[in-house]
Amino acid sequence: MGVQAKPIPRSKPRERWLSTTDRLAPVLMMAPAAIFTVLMIGFPFVYAGYLSLHKITLGSPDPAVFIGLDNFAKAMGDPIFWTAVRVNLALYAVGLILELVLGTYIGILLGQPLRGIAIARVLAIFPAVIPSVAVGLVFAQMFDPAQGLFNFVLRALGQRPQAWLASPTTVLQSILIVEVWQWTPFIALIIMGAMQTLPTEPYEAARIDGASGLQILRYLTLPMLRPAIVVAAMLRTVDLMRIFDSIYIMTQGGPINSSMSLNVYAFTQGFLFSQFGYSSAIMLVLLALTVIASATLGAARRRSGV
Amino acid sequence: MKRIHWRDGVMNTFLYAQIIIVLALILFPILWMALSSLRYNVDITAYPPKLIAPVTLENYVNLVQTNNFGRIAVNSAIIVTGSTLLGMLLGVPAAYAAARFRKQGWAFLILLARMSPGILFLIPWYMVALAAQLTDNYLTLILTHTVITMPVIVWLMLSFFEELPPDMEESAMIDGCSRFQVLRLIAIPLSIPGIAVSAILSFIFSWNYFLFALVLSGSGTMPLTVAAFQFIGVSAINWGGLMAAATVISVPPMILTMFVQRWLVRGLTAGAVKG
Repeated sequence: MGVQAKPIPRSKPRERWLSTTDRLAPVLMMAPAAIFTVLMIGFPFVYAGYLSLHKITLGSPDPAVFIGLDNFAKAMGDPIFWTAVRVNLALYAVGLILELVLGTYIGILLGQPLRGIAIARVLAIFPAVIPSVAVGLVFAQMFDPAQGLFNFVLRALGQRPQAWLASPTTVLQSILIVEVWQWTPFIALIIMGAMQTLPTEPYEAARIDGASGLQILRYLTLPMLRPAIVVAAMLRTVDLMRIFDSIYIMTQGGPINSSMSLNVYAFTQGFLFSQFGYSSAIMLVLLALTVIASATLGAARRRSGV
Repeated sequence: MKRIHWRDGVMNTFLYAQIIIVLALILFPILWMALSSLRYNVDITAYPPKLIAPVTLENYVNLVQTNNFGRIAVNSAIIVTGSTLLGMLLGVPAAYAAARFRKQGWAFLILLARMSPGILFLIPWYMVALAAQLTDNYLTLILTHTVITMPVIVWLMLSFFEELPPDMEESAMIDGCSRFQVLRLIAIPLSIPGIAVSAILSFIFSWNYFLFALVLSGSGTMPLTVAAFQFIGVSAINWGGLMAAATVISVPPMILTMFVQRWLVRGLTAGAVKG
């Protein structure tokens, strides 16, 4: 066979399902997963919609009383709900920008073809693969005002110790430190992967034309990385909007609700106060906010032709 | 030529310096966790912070002897293995059919599952589990964790199956194999690396997932993540014990990550890339 032998022409996938049982095969293969999805995701989704329109009192003779949109109206008049919306949006906006900037930088750095870089790539991703509980515990230690490492270091440097998680004025910054630390490597990983697929020709041309390193970064690398950055932004949008673990583990929304996100508030309402209808309503609002944020990013993505 | 080499050398040193600083910041909390887990409490909270202190395994011994972490680790193993196996059983055939037939529907479902806040599902699950007396039950935890593992498995296996050359499958079908035989005798054996990667990533995701077990597990089925979290209240200032618990739950995913590093992007971005 010659070196340039053409691949054997393939029939289209659909034409390859031949006999009757074979025509049923894809349905039979997908059925278990599809049934599981309907039962475990589809049904709860619909049921949550039902709950959000009812007042739920477990164990009473009339456990679900239809109250229309009262749960949503209740949220509109609930100051803690609005605190949670603000906390969500603040953590989202600041967290996303910090993570994108740092993650792109680290991704480009670790995307360089250097000796020993493979080890650095594995080590750099560790924060994103360990359980959030472990992350929360370590940072709870380091943030502890009286015994934590951060204040020890500040004192040793002659600086004023901080309250970190213990004060409403610093709790969000502290949570941001944790989120940025844990998830920036995740963005770096996506950028790193994209770096490896970039074509080499434009770089050679730029070198011949005498472009500086900064010019190459600004006019070549960053534009070519834009699709990967947008994907990273969309994934982090979805995850930052439903932020729960780090907050629940370290502060449970305190002190005095100053770190209460929508997800943590819905959890508190649902599982501490058994307000299942109200909790479902809050979750549907959060889902709507997430869809809006994602759709906005998606529109920007299409407009810029990425 | 010489000048270019000289410049490249400086450039590389500059890059390595940045990499070392970045890695130091990334790894420091993990090192502090591991280091503190091997120390006595007096040394962890000593001021000024100690670089060198006596090493002890006391924190780990206490976890097993007084906090029953051995038994709790078995819970974790049951939930993680169960949800990985069930995810495989459901996800691998679905991924194969999707790869050879159509995949748009799955991409949408995976995206929807990723976007929805977990509590949205958790409230209905909790109410059903309460009514059916299925809280604190392995089955409930395995089923709910499969909601996490199955989409990842479908997404990864889909791309592995798509990369398989269809020639072998076609000749097997001409020889009279049914589609199911092709899957069992050809596609799956050829995709063993993909199956291994999917299983490992599924293990990591299930192991790390906190929210579902926080609500649905109880004293009999609690996994390590929930136990470590509840440990905070039990021993507020036992930092050594807390750091040992954090280290115990972090080591398995860190070790597994080393084997699947190059596949991690695909697993973590499930549902977002293409569609």
